Amino acid sequence: MTTLMYAKGTCAMGIQVLLEEAGVAYELKKADFSKGEQHTPEFRAVNPKGKVPALVRDDGSVLTEYGAIAMWLAMTNPDKKLVPTDPEALARVIEALDFAVGTLHMLSWRMFRRPDAYSDSDDEQAKLKVRGKEAVEKGLAIANEQLAGKDWICGDYSIADSALYYVEFWVSEVAKWPLPANVQAHYERMKQRPAVQVSRKEEGAA
Amino acid sequence: MLKLYYWPGTCSIAIHILLEEIGVAYERQTVDLGQKQQYSAEFLAINPKGKVPALVRGDGSLLTEVPAIAMWLAATAPSFHLVPDDIEGRTRVMEIMSYIAGTVHIQGAARAWRPALFSTHREEQEAVVARGREIVLQGLDILSDALDGKEYLAGEYSIADPFLFFIEYWAAEKVGYPLPANIDAHYNGMRKRPAVRRALAAEGLA
Repeated sequence: MTTLMYAKGTCAMGIQVLLEEAGVAYELKKADFSKGEQHTPEFRAVNPKGKVPALVRDDGSVLTEYGAIAMWLAMTNPDKKLVPTDPEALARVIEALDFAVGTLHMLSWRMFRRPDAYSDSDDEQAKLKVRGKEAVEKGLAIANEQLAGKDWICGDYSIADSALYYVEFWVSEVAKWPLPANVQAHYERMKQRPAVQVSRKEEGAA
Repeated sequence: MLKLYYWPGTCSIAIHILLEEIGVAYERQTVDLGQKQQYSAEFLAINPKGKVPALVRGDGSLLTEVPAIAMWLAATAPSFHLVPDDIEGRTRVMEIMSYIAGTVHIQGAARAWRPALFSTHREEQEAVVARGREIVLQGLDILSDALDGKEYLAGEYSIADPFLFFIEYWAAEKVGYPLPANIDAHYNGMRKRPAVRRALAAEGLA
């Protein structure tokens, strides 16, 4: 059985989308981050990085890092065409996924959402929230350009869309900021997908 | 003709090394991060993300994000086997690339190198640097485990090794962090590679 180490509201929701898209049988193992469960010895025994997502595969081996898990699911389920095989198209998918995970999420959203991770002072945290929001908006503007005339960020549906989706989720459902037009359309399209609907139900989102 | 936009000693060195490894003809152009040249209208016209590395290809198209550029370069030169052929090998390489990009670099090295990005309070910046150092050292421990006595991260030399080299070089030469034994061995081994030597020389780094 494939187990996805999961926590509500995290980027692990994107991997659940991909598990659903791939049609893989899986279970969720949920950690409560508000209780710091990712720091327990039990959790660290599975993933020393203390993070989600982590995928425990059938053979017991653990895969970490969003991009790697996404690529593995795509490569092991080639009939679902979740990544292109052509090197140029594949490079574009990795580029888009990395931008969403590395820049939109880890650098920008994180600064807005977790200013306490960087500073203990109230006024500094307020500044970080402003800069984080600006960085997210700048990143989404770039994604917006890339989406022009396309349904999916790289043309055909791919793992990159799942990463952009979870950022859209955070911006819409958590921060409640508007998304630029093409990004909003992408978000709406994602919400139509049965795989995404399963994830949204898990997340308690409409 | 490929054109690499880079700045010495940054993560662009990973791509610089790969270009040298495959021996493809390319031009290089510095983007002076110290002078904030990455935010100039001229550079933003080339790369709206305002980042290095940026690779402009012969057809004028731009590729960004280290893992994407690295995968693409590897695919253009299959005889160099810079990415494993098997799914598991490719996945594990992606896992390392993602970890270095999203965590060790963006969350660790960025804090330690540019604490002012995360707090404008002088007194707090020491704490930001310390946290960055913690993340980098934890990363080096995890990557040391991944090396597990092998010469290279994936067994055979791959795109993951130049990316690790970037972190090793910065840690050893710029900030003087202690390197775990496996990492130190990998670093010294990398320094002996002709392609690494050429890239360092081209960047004016010792």
